[in-house]
Amino acid sequence: LLTPLAQTPAGRAAQYAATMSIMEYNGAAVIAMAGKGCVAMASDKRYGIRNQTMGCQMQKVFQMNDSTLVGMTGLATDQQTLEQKFRFRSNMYRLREERDMNPKAFANMVSSLLYERRFGPYFCEPVVAGLCDGDKPFLSGMDLLGAQVFTDDFMVAGDCTEALYGLCESLYRPDLPPDELFEVLAQCLLSGVDRDCLAGWGAVVHVLTPQGLTTRHLKGRMD
Amino acid sequence: MSRRYDSRTTIFSPEGRLYQVEYAMEAISHAGTALGVLASDGVVLAAEKKSTSKLLEPAKSSEKMYMIDEHVACAVAGITADANILINQARLHAQRHLYNYGEAQPVEQLVQRLCDEKQLYTQYGGLRPFGVSMLYAGWDKIHGFQLYQSDPSGNYNGWKATCIGANEKGANSLLKQEYKEASIPLSAALQLAIKVLTKTADATTLTPDKFDIATVTLVNGRVKYTQFNETESQALLDMAKAESASADA
Repeated sequence: LLTPLAQTPAGRAAQYAATMSIMEYNGAAVIAMAGKGCVAMASDKRYGIRNQTMGCQMQKVFQMNDSTLVGMTGLATDQQTLEQKFRFRSNMYRLREERDMNPKAFANMVSSLLYERRFGPYFCEPVVAGLCDGDKPFLSGMDLLGAQVFTDDFMVAGDCTEALYGLCESLYRPDLPPDELFEVLAQCLLSGVDRDCLAGWGAVVHVLTPQGLTTRHLKGRMD
Repeated sequence: MSRRYDSRTTIFSPEGRLYQVEYAMEAISHAGTALGVLASDGVVLAAEKKSTSKLLEPAKSSEKMYMIDEHVACAVAGITADANILINQARLHAQRHLYNYGEAQPVEQLVQRLCDEKQLYTQYGGLRPFGVSMLYAGWDKIHGFQLYQSDPSGNYNGWKATCIGANEKGANSLLKQEYKEASIPLSAALQLAIKVLTKTADATTLTPDKFDIATVTLVNGRVKYTQFNETESQALLDMAKAESASADA
């Protein structure tokens, strides 16, 4: 018995498709790492809708101020809306306080914002990386409800976290200077997304030091 | 006779005046002077800080000049507490616009929104109007550099140069005399602002700690709000003194 939906080829395909988690609808991978007086954050550049890739220029890591980066995985529309909301609150803070929000306060603000929607959440798992007091690395990751966890080595998020964790555990060393940190992070991300069909299609690595932000775009496997 | 029409903001007097609004403007005429001058390549805001007591801790940030967003700044004259409310509202308006449209709010739109709020207090609710006049200096890609002035009634106008607060009549007539060309460069605008401030200030001699001066300019295509520090303000004062000395000679 075919239901009305299944009278089209797409409908028939959908009937056999497994249900996909909303967090994997668009696909993303983000890693943040701490080095000596610096932090770095990398993400893939794929924008896809289910298994179709729509674009390879999607920005998932955003600089909020001179000392804070935030990267988001999960549903793309929520990534974009949250970035706008973070910018709103960051700007208001800077105007009222006449100074930038430090990374720790920013991470707490993100956590708070996510929990405000406890019963209808944003489908997004952010990673915050920054430099406190000028040069002390700060890393924080959250689930979609805002539960924070702090680490001093690396933080991963996305739909291929098992692969990313494995690579980070193997390749990471503490107290790396910015250039070496960039190398390690780039290798972890590029290899990690290789086995994931939903993330990849190029990568971008941002390295934040007290002197400023350096952004490098990487060529990866486009598949 | 007009006493009967004083106490409520929301009624007209027989002569067609809103007394509460006028009394608010009277309150502002006791506050420190603030003036703005529009130049072809920027806007200058200058304000005299009225220090009431030697015991006061020097303020960490200016009580006369505020940044509303990256591309708009304002100078206030009047009741500081009222000004704080309006500044906060202005900041929220600007951010909401940025959030919704992904671009900076046009300056006139921001001024209009704020004036709409001020107007509410002259028509609804029976609450007194805000005892603040504001000068807005900003840049947007539609109209370039702009200078606006708003008052407690909720009216606003665009100006080439204007002044609010104490001695505003004298300052305004001086500005009218001195602002001759259709447009002037920023350096001339700064000199004009200092000249007028020197003449209208309460203090006999102006020193950098008695006034604030700031500019809104374009640097590398981005709007920059620069508040002059003591050394820079002193340099401006010295230039003005030299000019007036050479003019007298």
